[in-house]
Amino acid sequence: MNEFQEQKINLTWREPKRSYDVVIVGGGGHGLAAAYYLATRHGITNVAVLERNYIGSGNSGRNTTIIRANYGIPESVKFYQRSVDLYQSLEAETDRWIMHKQKGLINIAHNEAGLRTERARAAVNVAFGSKTDFITSAEVKKLCPQIDLSGGGEYPVLGASYHHSGSTARHDRVVWAYAEGAMRRGVDVHQRISVTGMLKEGHKVTGVQTTAGPISAKVVMSAVGGQVTQLADMAGVRLPIRSHPLQAFVTNHYSLSFEPILASPALLFYVSQTARGEMLMGAEIDRQPSYSYGTGHHLLQTTSYRAITLLPFLRDLRILRQWTGVCDMSPDYSPIMGFTGVEGFVITSGWGTWGFKGIPASGEQMAELIATGKIPELIAPFALDRFARDRTMADRGSAGTH
Amino acid sequence: MPELKSLPFTRIVATPMALDATIWPAEALAFRAANDEVLLLASSLPTIADPHAIILPDSGFVGVWLSAEALQAIFEQHCEWALPATRPVFVQGAVAGIAAKLWLEAERGLLIVPAAYGHDFAERTGLA
Amino acid sequence: MPVAFEAGDSVLVTLQRAGLHPNHGGCLCAAGDCPHCLATVNGVAYVRTCQTLAQPGMIVESFPTDDYPHLPPNTQRGPTVSARNLHCDVVVIGMGEAGQAAAAAATAAGKSVITLDDKAGQEVVGIYPELMVVARTDTGMLHIHAHDEVVVATGAAEIQPVAPGNHLRGIVTPRAATHLAAKGVALGRVVVVESGGAVNLSTSPALNIVAHRKGQVLQFEGLDTLKAVVIQDDNGLSQRIECDTAVVGLGFTPRDLLVRMAAGLKVRAVGDAAREADLPPCPNAGMVCSCSSVSAADLQRVWDQGFHEMELVKRATLAGTGPCQGVVCVPHMRSFLATRTAAADPSAMPDITRLSKVQAPFTARPVVRQLTLGEVAAGAHHHATPRTGLDAEHRRLGAVMDRIGGWWRPWHYGNPLAEYWAVREAVSIGDVSTLGKMIVSGPDTLAFLERLYPTKVSSIAAGRSRYVLILDERGYVMDDGLICKDSDTRYTLTFTSGGSSHAEMWLRDWAEGWNMDVRILNQTMSLGAINVTGPLATQLLQRAGLTQPYKFMQHGHASIANVPCRVYRLSFTGEVSYELHHPVDQSAKLWRTLMTLGADLGIRPHGLQTLLQLRLEKGHVIVGQDTDFDSTPRRIGMEWALRMDKVDFLGKPAIERTNKTVLDKQLVGFEMSAPATFEGANIMYEGEYVGYVTSSTHSPLLGKVVMLGWLKLVNGALPSEVMIDGRLARRVDVPFYDKEGGRARA
Repeated sequence: MNEFQEQKINLTWREPKRSYDVVIVGGGGHGLAAAYYLATRHGITNVAVLERNYIGSGNSGRNTTIIRANYGIPESVKFYQRSVDLYQSLEAETDRWIMHKQKGLINIAHNEAGLRTERARAAVNVAFGSKTDFITSAEVKKLCPQIDLSGGGEYPVLGASYHHSGSTARHDRVVWAYAEGAMRRGVDVHQRISVTGMLKEGHKVTGVQTTAGPISAKVVMSAVGGQVTQLADMAGVRLPIRSHPLQAFVTNHYSLSFEPILASPALLFYVSQTARGEMLMGAEIDRQPSYSYGTGHHLLQTTSYRAITLLPFLRDLRILRQWTGVCDMSPDYSPIMGFTGVEGFVITSGWGTWGFKGIPASGEQMAELIATGKIPELIAPFALDRFARDRTMADRGSAGTH
Repeated sequence: MPELKSLPFTRIVATPMALDATIWPAEALAFRAANDEVLLLASSLPTIADPHAIILPDSGFVGVWLSAEALQAIFEQHCEWALPATRPVFVQGAVAGIAAKLWLEAERGLLIVPAAYGHDFAERTGLA
Repeated sequence: MPVAFEAGDSVLVTLQRAGLHPNHGGCLCAAGDCPHCLATVNGVAYVRTCQTLAQPGMIVESFPTDDYPHLPPNTQRGPTVSARNLHCDVVVIGMGEAGQAAAAAATAAGKSVITLDDKAGQEVVGIYPELMVVARTDTGMLHIHAHDEVVVATGAAEIQPVAPGNHLRGIVTPRAATHLAAKGVALGRVVVVESGGAVNLSTSPALNIVAHRKGQVLQFEGLDTLKAVVIQDDNGLSQRIECDTAVVGLGFTPRDLLVRMAAGLKVRAVGDAAREADLPPCPNAGMVCSCSSVSAADLQRVWDQGFHEMELVKRATLAGTGPCQGVVCVPHMRSFLATRTAAADPSAMPDITRLSKVQAPFTARPVVRQLTLGEVAAGAHHHATPRTGLDAEHRRLGAVMDRIGGWWRPWHYGNPLAEYWAVREAVSIGDVSTLGKMIVSGPDTLAFLERLYPTKVSSIAAGRSRYVLILDERGYVMDDGLICKDSDTRYTLTFTSGGSSHAEMWLRDWAEGWNMDVRILNQTMSLGAINVTGPLATQLLQRAGLTQPYKFMQHGHASIANVPCRVYRLSFTGEVSYELHHPVDQSAKLWRTLMTLGADLGIRPHGLQTLLQLRLEKGHVIVGQDTDFDSTPRRIGMEWALRMDKVDFLGKPAIERTNKTVLDKQLVGFEMSAPATFEGANIMYEGEYVGYVTSSTHSPLLGKVVMLGWLKLVNGALPSEVMIDGRLARRVDVPFYDKEGGRARA
């Protein structure tokens, strides 16, 4: 048996009821975390999570598992730092191994503009409680001995920001830890049930129409990734979201010897070694919006080429598998959380390429919003109406790739 | 290896209708780069039936004449799209990751890229 | 240890003939399907030795017993792998009977056909959108573009046995037995077991078959190497038979990964690749997935934990996530789940009642056959960075080059301070060829520009230029530049270097959307541009042939150093400046002549670093550095650039709306004592974060640090004193230098 097999989680499946206090659409990390925090923090357990496929089958099971808070604006740093903190305590809280590992994240600058961005990142991170240093190329070499500082003569390493709390965790195990924790406290999780419409009284949402019949609810929360605009449309909410495919790939397994998470915003790729020894690489989103999970060759080709530029040893590693997720991008590249203007319908969306790292804080804050009916301070800046109010979360430096 | 050289184009932007109706000089090479744009290699300028046409000399492109065999070798290595079978023909697309234009005659062809990419293009294709 | 081989032998055959196993054990298929012959070959780990021809001097290493292979050392750049692009109507993958028939049929129908076969050394890696087949060969990659269709005739893989001891050496599939025997590998005493799959080894007369049974293998016995098999026949009777080799037939599973990964593409399976998969008996004990060390007991455990779907079982056990991509384990996992699902009580396990009894294999993804990053990168390039007509000139002058705004540009020439003083006190030239340069012509030009820009375009006289902000439809600042009027129906527009790549698309989109009768020509890469700046700039240009004086913000045509130029009098540096736009092939000639003519005036070229410093002293905003996604003209203090009394312009409704909201922050100027802080430094007020510095420099002339930065309003007002870098900084009005602008207009 390999040591990474799941041995403790117990999932309990029940028949759907016709009515719940809260129905959460989307059985990924965000939906299940919200259910978990509703149950554990607020004692609200008459909750159903509806998943049209299997739990964690969307972006929760397709991401590159990076946890970080090194954003460029205060509101985001604070929010993601909350997630970093919750992730750090999640194993102790749930008594489940999510394979959380602090690795440190190096964001490399290859030109003057990159240096400016990374210095600014470090400054705002520190101001809001997230530990990030600006480091020299010599320090980069110490943290990542495999790096070619000349960047193949093409993309020299001029400096970097180093985000100490940059971590990874096993995505599936995060999903299961939240699912099990919620199920154990009475939350129903239903797989293979699709939402086909909203039950409404006037403009108010009173439940969902599903492939397993109507289910009424006092509050419906969308925690859907991908086709979220279509779901919101059923509730009468227009979302400023475009969905773009994002691809990633892994190599075979190799002995553990690549410590950090290394990212190059200019070369548009990042890499880390998983606990099982795969080198895991991701890249930029596909510019062409699409819901497709299809994989392309061009990304694999160019990302490999770029990765070898900085890490020549990767040249002889064999690629195992590539896959695709779908990223919901908002106009300001920040998530959308909170009320929607339609009574009975709340949302957590626009998770772009940052969905995994936002799971715990999004779940916790949305649970508080549902339980109290009030917008928690931490997510108030991320409200949907910010676009109409001219309060976008402008974060030019963090419109990155992971 | 032949070198990329600046091409003495005249660049013409006019209504598609005016370009369609233009009679190009017999010896001219007129490349229809877009509905509203022609890149012209000619010693004299024809009349363009559009009073608002923009007609300017343009040294922003470099190019090289290559034999059919040399072109074939470059395309096999650097071009993901298929060349049309007809000759002569003008086509455009990425070659070695750079936006290129190509005029293909029976025995040879003219490969064209923006001068700003000439250095990278030459390095990638060996046309240094 | 050196081993002998014959031409045409695979590495696997070579090793087996020498009595060696390439890995540590497990059933061999000798057909490229399973992971049991993987080894490190010439430093590359995870090579299927059965698919690799033996070569003299080849180094083959088994994986470590207690770890994965080590990451290779960071060697020097190796030989790059080349990629060949081929085009055809039909690609046929696999040249067995079905493949040959498909190829013959396509050829007969007049199609051009390319065939690929792993036995000929062409391993297909994946089929990608637009019908591109990627194959690796030992001499490089093939990227084959099929016009009509791809036919997958890859046949079927043999199902491997799952029983205790199936990790031992000495277990082979029927095909492997035939192949190895034919190659002269001694298999010793052979036991044949038909477990639902017929086994016919009559073509291998060399085999010493000691037993041939129908039934199930209960146990493979041995320590490292097989010593005996325990077989249970169909009547339930067990028998132990000593042997050296066990050949087990369990039927076939189609090699259809290529078809399944290409859903929606014109890809068709023929022959055995299109057959139904056989379902082996439900595994009760033994290794199911040797890639990830998942046993039958592990499947049972996660089933009991509530993982009932193929994908969830895969994710919980990691079965199927290794090098063979599930070829070996999937048949057994399907059998296991079908058996458990059929036996489950639906009311107790409602999640599985919504699934059919035999679940589909999990999603197929590239890559099917493995290849290295170096191989997959074949034919790739970095994003090409354009160079100006002066690129070679800068490098010759020893400039430090940097990628800025998407171009290679000189950052400085070794002495930025001297460059600075040359501009402020003498004359300097700078390469601004990267500016976006567009011509718009046509009857609707004025109407078009009036709708596009927030300034009153009709009030610009012919031969004059005006600075403009460029807004998007949300009223945010997207770029800035100049509008230069050539005639009533023709204007030249400039954009920043960073904005130039987007400018043409932006213009064309709106022209088309508004149905404007205009012609648009992008001259960004056709014209070079040199900025001649400094108090002696006019003097230098007179030497170079400028006869007619230009007023500030005036433009016209002139021959400078015998180069036809479009001359724009303007200023970004704060000093008298002329931009000379000229044919890009004459940039070097113009540059060198100016350098020669200006030698006694103290001329020096200046790089971007100095330019950024000069413009900061003037308080000029760099869009993209000082602005962010949400920068309205109000926030950057440039409402003077808007004519809100115009009927309409792009972004006007949004600005009217956002102007009604409470102002929250502004881009403002700061001063403090030396040294300069870094760009991005936090701005603090009474211990609270109130913004950050976007531009910062020490002004040699003013003897202090000047900055631009975002500042939040506190209680409705902008703080006038803040802390930057732990030091007191004062908010001041910009420009910092030559507030009246007299120097630029001189």
